[in-house]
Amino acid sequence: MWADTLLILFISVCTALLGEGLTWLMVYRTEKYQKLKSEVERQSKRLEKRKEAHGDSLDKQQKRKIEREEEKLKQNNRDLSLVKMKSMFAIGFAFTALLSMFNNIFDGRVVARLPFLPISWIQGLSHRNLPGDDYYDCSFIFLYILCTMSIRQNTQKLLGFAPSRTASKQGGIFGAPPQAYK
Amino acid sequence: MSTKTKTTEKNGSNGATNLKQPALESVWVRAFKSESEWPDKEEFLDVIYWARQFLGIAVGVLWGLIPLKGFVALLLFALVNAGIVYMYCTSFQKVDEEEYGGAWELTKEGFMTSFAGFLVTWIIFYTGLHSEGFRKDL
Repeated sequence: MWADTLLILFISVCTALLGEGLTWLMVYRTEKYQKLKSEVERQSKRLEKRKEAHGDSLDKQQKRKIEREEEKLKQNNRDLSLVKMKSMFAIGFAFTALLSMFNNIFDGRVVARLPFLPISWIQGLSHRNLPGDDYYDCSFIFLYILCTMSIRQNTQKLLGFAPSRTASKQGGIFGAPPQAYK
Repeated sequence: MSTKTKTTEKNGSNGATNLKQPALESVWVRAFKSESEWPDKEEFLDVIYWARQFLGIAVGVLWGLIPLKGFVALLLFALVNAGIVYMYCTSFQKVDEEEYGGAWELTKEGFMTSFAGFLVTWIIFYTGLHSEGFRKDL
């Protein structure tokens, strides 16, 4: 069982690296993405600085200026997510296929023993396709998701591909609406 | 990497501070030194983020070795993780938490990733060291 556990850890490290590698090939290294990313970061920082400098004492003109900048930032964020979207879809499909392949390989196999009893709505995932009703048994998919959650984000951060906090706060890299300034 | 460039940019634009202190020590040195200066907020948040990841893995290994089990272990992880990071920020580095958007912002920085890392290491160590008995019963 432990060999399976370690194998899943290895698989998720490999898929995280492969995913980032493919995204780098298709997105991160393109000039358009780099230009848009630096533009979004620059704008986000400027916007944050401006908001910090003026605080609550905003007059109408400044407010309008900030709103205009926010609009610009939103547009750039939208463009950025569009650039990412196509390749993300391609990678998503490839990884879904890969995941279903691993799912078949580990089908019905207990890959780990959980040191806690998962709450009922997680049991469907942690005990997926496993025989018996010992909910301490862990399925492939649960461990894989956990591994991916931790490894993927850390890899992105290590390689410098994660969006900066300012950009995420100001509008989100995927074009989420900007937060209202407190 | 990108953090270094940010520091240079920040130092470059901060002329007045530059005259007093020509260059800041590396992030590593400042992270382990009490009451360091953090002109770039992102740098400090990065330190918190990586400290959390390390803490998550360390606690996961420890809980797996002991072994601690059940909901209590999860709760204890959350308390240890949030507590140590909060103490590090307020008592060791003595940063103004309001500058970072309040204590909550500092507490949640990288928490989910750290939690996932903790679960993975905890499960792996627990499975490797303490699960054989259960398998024999089956």
